[in-house]
Amino acid sequence: MKKIILIATLAVGSLFAQVKGDMEVPYISYQIKMGHGFDAVQANCLMCHSFGYILNQGPQSRLFWSKKVDKMITHFKAPIMKDDKKTVVDYLFKHYGNGKLK
Amino acid sequence: MQRREFFKTSIVASAAILGTNLAAAETHQPKVGQRVSEMAFPEKRPMITYSDRPPLLESTRATFARGITQNDEFFVRWHLPDIPTHIDLDAYTIKINGLVEKELNISLHELKNDYEQVEVTAVLQCGGNSRSAFTPIPGGIQWGSGAMGCAKWKGVRLSDLLNKAGLKKDAHWIGFNGLEKAAYYKTPNFVRELELTELDDHVIVAYQMNDEDLPYLNGFPLRLVLPGYYSDSWVKMLSNITVTDKYKSLFFMDMAYRVPDNKTEGETPEHHAKTTKPITHMNVKSVIGYPENGMQVYHNSHVVVRGVAFDDGHGINKVMISVDEGKTWEEALLKQENGRYAFTEFRFAYKPTKYGKLHIMAKAINRLGNEQPFAKEIPWNHGGYKYNGIDVITVEVV
Ligand code: HEC
Repeated sequence: MKKIILIATLAVGSLFAQVKGDMEVPYISYQIKMGHGFDAVQANCLMCHSFGYILNQGPQSRLFWSKKVDKMITHFKAPIMKDDKKTVVDYLFKHYGNGKLK
Repeated sequence: MQRREFFKTSIVASAAILGTNLAAAETHQPKVGQRVSEMAFPEKRPMITYSDRPPLLESTRATFARGITQNDEFFVRWHLPDIPTHIDLDAYTIKINGLVEKELNISLHELKNDYEQVEVTAVLQCGGNSRSAFTPIPGGIQWGSGAMGCAKWKGVRLSDLLNKAGLKKDAHWIGFNGLEKAAYYKTPNFVRELELTELDDHVIVAYQMNDEDLPYLNGFPLRLVLPGYYSDSWVKMLSNITVTDKYKSLFFMDMAYRVPDNKTEGETPEHHAKTTKPITHMNVKSVIGYPENGMQVYHNSHVVVRGVAFDDGHGINKVMISVDEGKTWEEALLKQENGRYAFTEFRFAYKPTKYGKLHIMAKAINRLGNEQPFAKEIPWNHGGYKYNGIDVITVEVV
């Protein structure tokens, strides 16, 4: 059985810290699948957006996830280490994959 | 209970169709029946929720049974996670600089008092609205049909602001910048550039939406309103307008919100078009707000199909309804009281005489004679933009 736990705030607590005050945007508890590689996702993927962006793509192929990470690096300048890239793609494909390589 | 089950089978059925054809690109009806979140965002009722950072909220289909979208159910789309959560109204200014005779720093008070106040009712639609209609999935949020809405906007004309500043001879491009920021300093910021020739007197800088202040999540205290254009250029929390002579190459201009620059605006997943163009003007589209997918309606009862139709401001001429898979079409009644940029409301009374599944289709036709194609006729594009297929909903006659 896969273990699913709810993570309330992750590492993104500082996103709204810059300006304090009037509005508070709630945090969503995404259902995130735990497993090898999640640390790498947490470290590399949640700085610019929530896990919701990733979940919203639905189950996808390994190539899809690999290209998505490349897109983050080239277009959005995501600072992702080479070794981490593979770990992230492995994790995404394992938990949010559709079983197809391409 | 029964309604639920009916719904499930229709989802499974469409998944099966997709499954057989994954390699080839195809276009179909967008997703329906997404769950409304249990959590409400500030100034909003609970909506279909994709992300908290940046906030991404979609309106339900039922929203489109009415011609004006309420502020608390109006969709929300930000690109970058860092948006101010506090605005000091006394200190807020909008700066106009670049190729102008006189740089301006206009306070909200000046904006509301020193310029002519104008109103326009206009549809705001994300270029990626209905993106879930495309397979394989294009990058971006997999919206259903609710990344759109129509509101009455109040503010001042952009041209009045630019005239006050005085454009220099070489002025050609206008860049618009809001307060939304990336979380990482190297990520490109979201700046829009428009050619001066694209901007007419209908473009306003708005501070009100449906007679209230803009909700925070819709760009409080100021946003650009570009009637007829997709929402990517309706910059929120507008803080800076810069006039230049040259187009600056920027990620969100060069890479996002563009479609293939060919006649059909189509391409294949394997070979993306080499040249692209910005999405700019909205194509003709309609969405059925009532009844909703999966609902049951009584045999021989009076069903009133309701929905909205719009285009880029040429105006809707007709909305046609079909209850026989598109073989025959009948005209719906239209209500158009908010001008040519607004939602046209349509209604169509119908008495279902056959039991079982019933498909109801809506097709809008604008004053130029442009009409919505069937979903399957719309070519795929890798950004998933500009879907405007004939809307189809399925109910069960019992
Ligand atoms: C430096 C910032 C940054 C980092 C780090 C980052 N992303 Fe993104 N990501 C973005 C931006 C910006 C967008 C698009 C925002 C928009 O257009 O609204 C995006 C969008 C996405 C999307 C939506 C699909 C699409 O094509 O737009 C997915 C999926 C995604 N990111 C996955 C990831 C994964 C997985 C990681 C970790 C490997 C990651 N991101 C790390 C900035 C980042």
